[in-house]
Amino acid sequence: MTELNLIIAGVGGQGSVLASHLVAMAAIRDGLRARVGETFGAAMRGGAVASHVRIGEDAPTPLVPEGGAEIVLALEPLEGLRNAVKYLAGGGILLTNTRAWTPVDVNTGRAEYPSMETIRGAVEKLGGRVIAIDATSLAQQAGNVRTMNVVMLGALAGVDKLPTSPESLKRVIRENVPKGTEEVNLRAFELGFSAVREK
Amino acid sequence: MGIAETIAEDSPGKRVLLMGNEAIARGAIEAGIGVAASYPGTPASEIMEALALAAPRLGFHAEWSTNEKVAFEVAAGAAITGIRALTSMKNAGLNWVMDMFMTLVYGGVRGGFVVAVADDPDAHYSSNEQDTRFAAFYGEIPCLEPADQQEAKDMTRYAFELSEQLKLPVMVRSATRLSHASGDVELGKIQKLDRKPAFDKHYELAYRWNVYGPPGPVEKHRWLHSRMPLAKRAVEKLPWNKLELKGKPKLGIIAPGLGASYARDAVRRLGLEGKVAFLKVGTPTPLPERMVGRLLKAVKTVFVVEEGDPLVEFQVKALAKDLNPRVKIAGKLTGELPPVGEINSDIVANALAKLAGIRRRRDRAREFIKAEVGELVSPRSSTLCAGCQHLGSYWALKQALRKLGGRVPIVNGDIGCYEQGGYGIFAKAIKPSFSTESVRYPIESPYEALDTNYIMGGGVGLMQGEFHAGYRDGAIVAVAGDSTFFHACIPAVINAVCNLAKGVFLVMDNSWTAMTGHQPNPATGITATGERVRALRIEDVAKACGVDFIRTADPFDLGATQAAIEEALKHEGFAVVVARRVCTLQAQREKKFVGKKMVVSPEKCTSCRLCVSFGCPAITYKDNKGGIDFLLCNGCGMCAQVCPTGALSVVE
Ligand SMILES: Cc1ncc(C[n+]2csc(CCOP(=O)(O)OP(=O)(O)O)c2C)c(N)n1
Repeated sequence: MTELNLIIAGVGGQGSVLASHLVAMAAIRDGLRARVGETFGAAMRGGAVASHVRIGEDAPTPLVPEGGAEIVLALEPLEGLRNAVKYLAGGGILLTNTRAWTPVDVNTGRAEYPSMETIRGAVEKLGGRVIAIDATSLAQQAGNVRTMNVVMLGALAGVDKLPTSPESLKRVIRENVPKGTEEVNLRAFELGFSAVREK
Repeated sequence: MGIAETIAEDSPGKRVLLMGNEAIARGAIEAGIGVAASYPGTPASEIMEALALAAPRLGFHAEWSTNEKVAFEVAAGAAITGIRALTSMKNAGLNWVMDMFMTLVYGGVRGGFVVAVADDPDAHYSSNEQDTRFAAFYGEIPCLEPADQQEAKDMTRYAFELSEQLKLPVMVRSATRLSHASGDVELGKIQKLDRKPAFDKHYELAYRWNVYGPPGPVEKHRWLHSRMPLAKRAVEKLPWNKLELKGKPKLGIIAPGLGASYARDAVRRLGLEGKVAFLKVGTPTPLPERMVGRLLKAVKTVFVVEEGDPLVEFQVKALAKDLNPRVKIAGKLTGELPPVGEINSDIVANALAKLAGIRRRRDRAREFIKAEVGELVSPRSSTLCAGCQHLGSYWALKQALRKLGGRVPIVNGDIGCYEQGGYGIFAKAIKPSFSTESVRYPIESPYEALDTNYIMGGGVGLMQGEFHAGYRDGAIVAVAGDSTFFHACIPAVINAVCNLAKGVFLVMDNSWTAMTGHQPNPATGITATGERVRALRIEDVAKACGVDFIRTADPFDLGATQAAIEEALKHEGFAVVVARRVCTLQAQREKKFVGKKMVVSPEKCTSCRLCVSFGCPAITYKDNKGGIDFLLCNGCGMCAQVCPTGALSVVE
């Protein structure tokens, strides 16, 4: 496969932008074209963030068309559902972390947070399927909870739909994470990779 | 290898991932830039952020200026001495620049001068959707509009050459979906220009740099006009203006910038490749008129696809009148594309399908399921950060106004993180009122403190008009942040003093330009390239402006801040209150934030919900009890001051 439309969704502060750049860099290294459309602006924490990654020989526009994403990679389940509803293609996969970052709307009792079963049911209705892992715990296990985004990248490599090899991805991770955190990040990657392989 | 290395790396041919803004910066670096000046603004800020990373290494000057007008002048001054210079800004920034912009063009420049502007169709990060390409048209200078990151780099680099060829500033126009998107870019060589700055006051034109110098502005305007034929000739040869016209197609597309990317995608998705003529435009003004003419004469319908307002469409219509009056021109003026908001490939594909007579089937069953499932998605309202010092300022302001604000106080807002205080984030559907009397509204949600809000520096001016109009139904207040204060408020503060306005001006000083990603400003004490400088104090500036009532408070201390505001409300003239504490997010990044240990005692909670109305995203409310989400809590301790029963408290 040489083409992929992928959305990486999460909450500001979780590292979805870096994750999307790492995927694009790996693709470029493998000789493909890549584009990442980003939605972020205010530096504030806690807002909904999504990066649209388009990989292929010819990647013309920054945003994935509606219903055009083969994979939605979610660092946070609600954000996964939000993007899956709009962008997931029939037969697509929502690959999500199970750990919720509750929005104020829910914290203050004005809205309800959908359970994992609700999310699974909803995505199946849309003709997709859900793979869920507790990436936050795996990141803690790797040695730093902030590597959760890299755990999810490992999981992404694990579903075997990326046009780039896990090796290229690991190489760009090593080169682009803060100095001194390379080993923790690669451990995180492996934990995510095996978690999906075991499913 | 991060952006700091990539941006300054001299390895031609290497392919790297660059954000549109970084690509613009890289283009300027490859062109051998000598001076770069900017003021932050989303979605343009990363242009300067990338340049500032490269500047110390490559030896050019890069600065965050006090505002866009100053930045423009700093760069223009360099260009007058023959040095290549760039200024960058967001859409609204150009409005601050217009006086100099419209006048500098009368004498032009000597060194290449590039004005990079990032527009924001759909107003993702802006107070309006203005299309700044019209300013290039208005000022009679060329505008280059890239379609992707590679073009962003290459066009910016070329813009310096074009600028020197025409001796005029050249605009590079980006937009959110280009600036804030990344793509693969092949790097070019970094030119090393060993230019010595020089000054000649009659350089090629008498009194060139003094618009009034004889023979005066009208003759200089004539000189400006003489540039346009040269510009028109130059753009016909650019690789970014390209006409694909084979056979006898009925339909042709004209698309500048991002519009070309969307249109190309739509053509492919509809299987129309080779069946429609396609003019990809890189210069919306001046247009490659000869290419437009060939297209106009060849087809029956022309579809203009552009991001922003119909600048190209207007011009194509005007050209069609002479060249082929029978051609139909479709676009934003005729309703094929929406006249507001941004476009994307779905919108363009639907419009193109209609024009090409292709029926696209709607999947109604899927639309139904999507709508049904969409109901399950809880909103994620945008809030201030957990422990944001602005939360304390707003709480204090609201309490003070409740006591002393009168029946209908007016709080004039401004632009910054604190504008999040502006609208009830949960209050979606408000019914408009048609009252001719002042109306008091209960503040029901935490973020509903601001009654007016337009542009940077707007609030402190509006408050004076409200006062002089004789508004006495309540107190009149304005708020602004520190960056905004230096950018836009100082003349208005002087005005308040010198024209005897009364009101309270609350400056929320967090020492950084936080909203746009924590750039330094005059209150920070650091330059764009990291040198330490003197930090200016807002109190000192206000004092020098003649303000005699000035109080300072720490917004984490709710009582003290409230007391300062109350005192200001009682003052008989213009009063300034500075609520100062460094941005919580930035303090955490610099590891300077010391959080307190918080404890929740549910048995003490009386379900009054005051904690919820404080608005901190770390506050929870479940089973009728207030609580704290300890994953988000920073331990600022403000909620413990809000809670009247000690259910939320600080462990001493
Ligand atoms: C003319 C103009 N330039 C730039 C911007 C982008 N912008 C939005 S808010 C802001 C300033 C924020 O700084 P400050 O006033 O210190 O408030 P803070 O976000 O730190 O609370 C800027 C520069 C703008 N909206 N208008």
